[in-house]
Amino acid sequence: MSKKLELIMRAKIDGEIFARSIFALSAVISILAVALICVFLAANSFPALREIGVLKFLFGTSWKPSDIPPSYGVLPMILGSLYVTAGAVIIGVPIGVLTAVFLAKCCPKKIYKLIKPGVDLLAGIPSVVYGFFGMAILLPVFGGSIISASILLGIMILPTVIGLSEAALRAVPESYYEGALALGAGHYRATFAAVLPAAKSGIFAAVILGIGRAIGETMAVIMVAGNQARIPSSIFKGVRTLTSNIVLEMGYAEGLHRQALIATGLVLFVFILIINLSFQALKSRSKS
Amino acid sequence: MKAFSIFAVIIAASMTFSACGKTNEIAVITREDGSGTRSTFTEMFEITVKGDDGTVTDNTTLEATVANQTEVVITNVSGNKNAIGYISLGSLNDTVKAVSIDGVSAETKNVKSGEYKAAREFFIATPKASASPAAEDFISFILSAEGQAVVGKSYIAVNDTAPSYVGNGAAGKITVAGSSSVNPVMEKLKEAYLAVNPNAEIEIQMSDSSSGLSNAAEGLCDIAMSSRKLKEAELETLMPTTIAIDAIVVIVNKENAISNLTSDEINDIFTGKITDWSGISK
Repeated sequence: MSKKLELIMRAKIDGEIFARSIFALSAVISILAVALICVFLAANSFPALREIGVLKFLFGTSWKPSDIPPSYGVLPMILGSLYVTAGAVIIGVPIGVLTAVFLAKCCPKKIYKLIKPGVDLLAGIPSVVYGFFGMAILLPVFGGSIISASILLGIMILPTVIGLSEAALRAVPESYYEGALALGAGHYRATFAAVLPAAKSGIFAAVILGIGRAIGETMAVIMVAGNQARIPSSIFKGVRTLTSNIVLEMGYAEGLHRQALIATGLVLFVFILIINLSFQALKSRSKS
Repeated sequence: MKAFSIFAVIIAASMTFSACGKTNEIAVITREDGSGTRSTFTEMFEITVKGDDGTVTDNTTLEATVANQTEVVITNVSGNKNAIGYISLGSLNDTVKAVSIDGVSAETKNVKSGEYKAAREFFIATPKASASPAAEDFISFILSAEGQAVVGKSYIAVNDTAPSYVGNGAAGKITVAGSSSVNPVMEKLKEAYLAVNPNAEIEIQMSDSSSGLSNAAEGLCDIAMSSRKLKEAELETLMPTTIAIDAIVVIVNKENAISNLTSDEINDIFTGKITDWSGISK
């Protein structure tokens, strides 16, 4: 009897070890992918950076890969990504945060049932469909420009901003709101003066994730941004982002041009890294 | 209240700006760097300038919108009454208007006679080392009377007196890769070829001239499609064959009154010297 029990126990332990190793393997795969991407980016872009020169690459204002001699300056694209992302934040964040306040604090249940799935649906729309929408609606009005891309990206980051901000607002203890009411504040005053500041770090996190989404977006931006590789003189002029630069030319590129595009990817990777680190920093600060 | 007034200012400002956009400022649409259509077009109209010291400078205006596909050029031009772009003759449809160049309209007969300036060749390229019997048979079909008849439907045949096709009946898989400009005619050739040789299997991968050619050189495909001439380095490993003649047409919005442009005007528009339609004499 005890022998049988022992066998069962052993089988159970074997199974446990087996299951645990599968989980560990899964975890290792994602880390491995990140590591491989880092190695690939670094290994492929360093030769180009050495040949072009890091400063010339980062601060060069002319991108003419087909000329002889070619010039590879990504400053217009770096600025392009920053402008478009900033535009998306200016347009998307106020709308997103106010929507979150509405959803969390003053939305009747019936309307909530309508808006919430709508917002979730917005997150599921493929970016190329956003691009078509932009081409049909925004291009005739603003042309291929920073403002077109900003409006489109502003809409695209809404689900991220709304979802996380709403969660942050709901996480604020009800006593904050009630305390404000007890001190004589009205509903809106209590919401904006007590609840919203308490949810500040959560909302910042939402904004940072929104920025991450905006800066990495490619397909929709290519379709509405005009893609000119030069520093734009106004927000009604077109612009090329880091991501568009890679996608536009990768198919054709060979040799140094190809490596320069991979180096463009490295710049983008560094940007995303900074965004993620600041997100982590914000999260750990709000915990402590 | 303050927020409202800021909002109102923004709206007013954007209205003024979009009103500014309603002048006749030319919206130049170009293709991305490395596109076969772009390099052919810019060389034809001397927008790309070759210096004596071996330098090459593409002077396409930096304000030009960059579209990464023929279809995107067409959409942009059909949606903007001040836009101008260029595409392959075979892709031309009636949502946009093709302008005459130096008084010669972009018609098949003018391209054939050599009067229309902006003509170019479409190539296929095969590795010099070896070609599979299946690929050889497909190429002989493309160059036969039957194949050239297919080409002639939307482009211009290379050879009007080609011999008719005699198949070797080869079976097997053929992979064709490359230029998106050559792709439409290749799809039609594939269809016609499979009707006469059902044993073959053809896979067409659309990318662009350069990657098609490098794929063929590396043995990743049997036949490369190219809308530009092969470079020196590519000629070392690949053998090009002209399969069709295409023309590049300059297209404008249908509402645009202009129907003819001189070569110099096209150069001035695409290099940014003329920025307004009022600068063009009608």
